[in-house]
Amino acid sequence: MISNTKCECGHQNRVGTVLCEACGKPLIELGEAGEVLEMRYDGAARRSQRANPNFIDQIWNFFSSVKVAIYLIILTLLGAMLGTVFPQVSTFINLQNPEEYYKKTYGTLGGIYYSLGLADTYNSWWFILLLVMIGSSLVICSLDRVLPLYKALSKQKIKKHMEFLTRQRVVYQGPILERAEEWIRRATPVLKKKGYRVHSEGAALLAEKQRFSRWGPYVIHIGLIIFLLAVLFRGLPGLHMDEYVSFPEGEAKRIPGTTFYLKNEQFTVNYYSEKELPKEFQNTGKMLPKLFQTKAVLYECTSSCEDPSKTPVLKEVARHDIEVNKPLDYKGLVAYQYDFDLTPKLRSVQPVLVNKVTGEEYGKFKLDMMNPKRSYTLGPYTLELKNKYMDFMLNDDGEPTSKSPNPNAPAFLFLVKGPDLPKEGAQFIYFPKQIDKARFQQDLINEKLGGIEKKLDLDVKAMSDVDFAKSTSFLNIRMDRAMPFVWTGLAIVMLGLVLGFYWTHRRIWLRIDDGQLTLGGHTTKNFFGLRREVVSILKPLGVEVDEKSLDNGRNQE
Amino acid sequence: MSTQDLLEISKQAFMYSFFLYCIAFIAFAVAVIGKSWRNRDPVRHERKWGRISFFISSVGLLGHLLYFGTRWAGAGRIPVSNMYEFMSFLSMMIMVAFTIVFLIYRKTLLGLFALPIAVIVMAYAAVFPAEVQPLIPSLKSIWLYIHVTLAATGESFFAVGFAAAFMYLLRTVNFDGKDKVDRRQKWWVEFTMFSIIMVIGFIVAVFAFRASGYQAVFTSQQITTDTAGQTTTKEDKVEYNLPPIVAPYNSKVESMQSFAGLDQPLLHAPSWVEGATAGRKLNTIVWSIVGGAIIYLLLRLLVRRPLGKLVSPLLKGLDPDDLDEISYRAIAIGFPIFTLGALVFAMIWAQQAWGRFWGWDPKEVWALISWLYYSAYLHLRLSRGFQGRKASWIAVLGFLVIMFTLVGVNLVIAGLHSYAGTN
Repeated sequence: MISNTKCECGHQNRVGTVLCEACGKPLIELGEAGEVLEMRYDGAARRSQRANPNFIDQIWNFFSSVKVAIYLIILTLLGAMLGTVFPQVSTFINLQNPEEYYKKTYGTLGGIYYSLGLADTYNSWWFILLLVMIGSSLVICSLDRVLPLYKALSKQKIKKHMEFLTRQRVVYQGPILERAEEWIRRATPVLKKKGYRVHSEGAALLAEKQRFSRWGPYVIHIGLIIFLLAVLFRGLPGLHMDEYVSFPEGEAKRIPGTTFYLKNEQFTVNYYSEKELPKEFQNTGKMLPKLFQTKAVLYECTSSCEDPSKTPVLKEVARHDIEVNKPLDYKGLVAYQYDFDLTPKLRSVQPVLVNKVTGEEYGKFKLDMMNPKRSYTLGPYTLELKNKYMDFMLNDDGEPTSKSPNPNAPAFLFLVKGPDLPKEGAQFIYFPKQIDKARFQQDLINEKLGGIEKKLDLDVKAMSDVDFAKSTSFLNIRMDRAMPFVWTGLAIVMLGLVLGFYWTHRRIWLRIDDGQLTLGGHTTKNFFGLRREVVSILKPLGVEVDEKSLDNGRNQE
Repeated sequence: MSTQDLLEISKQAFMYSFFLYCIAFIAFAVAVIGKSWRNRDPVRHERKWGRISFFISSVGLLGHLLYFGTRWAGAGRIPVSNMYEFMSFLSMMIMVAFTIVFLIYRKTLLGLFALPIAVIVMAYAAVFPAEVQPLIPSLKSIWLYIHVTLAATGESFFAVGFAAAFMYLLRTVNFDGKDKVDRRQKWWVEFTMFSIIMVIGFIVAVFAFRASGYQAVFTSQQITTDTAGQTTTKEDKVEYNLPPIVAPYNSKVESMQSFAGLDQPLLHAPSWVEGATAGRKLNTIVWSIVGGAIIYLLLRLLVRRPLGKLVSPLLKGLDPDDLDEISYRAIAIGFPIFTLGALVFAMIWAQQAWGRFWGWDPKEVWALISWLYYSAYLHLRLSRGFQGRKASWIAVLGFLVIMFTLVGVNLVIAGLHSYAGTN
């Protein structure tokens, strides 16, 4: 470590300063002596370059290194690649036994892939750790450089050391005939016309433009940090919801976890007609969908929301035709078209209770598949709902159970009380669908349950007593409170990219010593453009130079 | 004008611009090589022929723009939604990027390298069916078009960056050197040449067999295990338009034309080559390697020296540092456009179409990988000793990453983007 950091001009520099903060004389040679100067961060000492780093400083130093940042980027890149070898578990909905699935589908390699946790690469601890480390690196790298750079650029001295000028990448030296101050005075408007801010001091001049582009990279990093934080915090409860809900046509259904109800008024699928298809698709029997649309109405529950015995009071808040790229969006609650099912779903039936012996009818009642009442009174009889099975099946022990919550094969178990029946009542199972009645042998089950089927029956008299939902639309309901931050972060990144890449910070230093003009030029990118600009600046001042000859330290073949 | 007329004009314009690019390439070659011809002043010759070739390539670009405009009008939407349209658009943007960089730097030689890339990409586009296809619902979004067009624009600048970087390497690698470093550099330059020729090999093979109307059909049994662990067997018919070196896994020949005595497939794909068309994709890759190798060997026999060594003298007059800077500049121009197109707008679109701005779909991941790769490149350029040769190799490899993202992902990994369908 170099301890004497005092420059010959008398300025006391911080440890690690490459170019004297005042006059620009090189203090530390990073390359070979005489080579073009290393102008990164204007030669200022980075914050991390301290004489005696303690533990925290060392962590800071680790993350402040661009080299470490590059390694982190490369590791993340390689990690991300690994995740694309086989499909990730997240791409399957409802994968029962992932380990077996990977083994079976992708062989031994798939098994190893799964056991290494690569089937869920992007949620693995190491991948998230890498992202967190990149985040830390972004913050620390930026802070470490931006403050010293800001200081260095805001207190620039106009007259720089001769060596600072002649070791820039754009250099011109040549004689001038007039007085130094006169020449500087003449140069000022020429530079101003090119958009430079000009500061002069005797026989020295500093012209500078577009300094703001220096902040581009740091703006990018700020945007990325906001983006990364937003992505990490999305995981917190309440900020994020992602549910797949089925909505049978014509029924307002509650969106789980919210006070909102959504009604699918009508679902439509259109296919391309044969005429609209290209030749290769015609007459192949292929159906190419053109449009999926759910006419949706969103309601908010205003009262009696949590009490199951009362009907919730709903207020319409939004109405939208949901299509694939046109979701319903209500204050951050977004419903996307996800899938559909065109098989009709039984919604309700209105059976009549019939006395099988006398043929007497005791009246009709409405049995709603999803929300049946707890009991029904029909003539002298009461039907108490004991249990309902939406997707009826008998398990291995011969007990009734439900395969799924979807009303594929609904069945209702009633306790019937009334005349001619035991006092404690008799059990009766009812399948509203005719096909299930036969399939599961309703009469046989009822015989086992107590033989009530000989006396009473539930019978649907007319088709008008059956209510079907023609189709079901599956919507993906999402809420993402972090999204505004994600978009803000990305917008800031883009701003930074444009600042940093489409503008360049250009500086030209001039000094005249005994009739000898020395010019040094520096830019962050595009030296080609700067050389061209210097030529066009010198020309009206009576100095003709060739673009190539300004190029310093190169073309020495 | 009717839709059919517009599409006809579009087709014609595509052909004309393709041939104009080829002619422009030859003119650029005359401009560069002709400098050493007798009875002429090299500077004047280059200036004159440089102008002529740039004029031809610009007319070609106008034709390409006409193709794009008429197809847009004819199809009623921006033509970037299948592989044919996307690759045509990409080659058009490569020409735009070349034109911009050429107008800044005026390096005639750049044309000699940028034009072949555009021509190859355009020929690659022609491999795919050119019909205007109707769109499935998820593709009907304005964000999609902005996403695809901007991403392709960014990638075109990377392509020009690649061309300049490769020129830098051809200019600086010591082809007569005998030490280890030189030999390794030479080998990799040659390998890059071979990779480019492999793409040409693929295109030549496809067009040759298409012209001869080659066809072989296989039926293959697909055994799939669904998520519940149930296996189903399905019979698929796969049509090959290239002679089957590799037949699909577990397949039978239904019909097969004989080619050069080959009337049975040479090999069958191993079982891990999944999916109905995977066997065909593998066959295509094998054919590209075979075709590339044949063309490469013929060229080597013809010129009797490594191709890198053949080309490098053309670059003698160029300043390597300029090439390095052009490469850096092109990538620096492309990077923000790529970020906006391939990531930001992709996220906006994904948010609209699928309700999530990011889903770790392979294509998305590879776009991220490309982005990380080029950001690593930009950071590396800050360090000492990474300008010049190392940076050029990174830029050359970067284009491979981009190409893998565009084509390889569809060939090797299928995901949500697979409707962009490759053969």
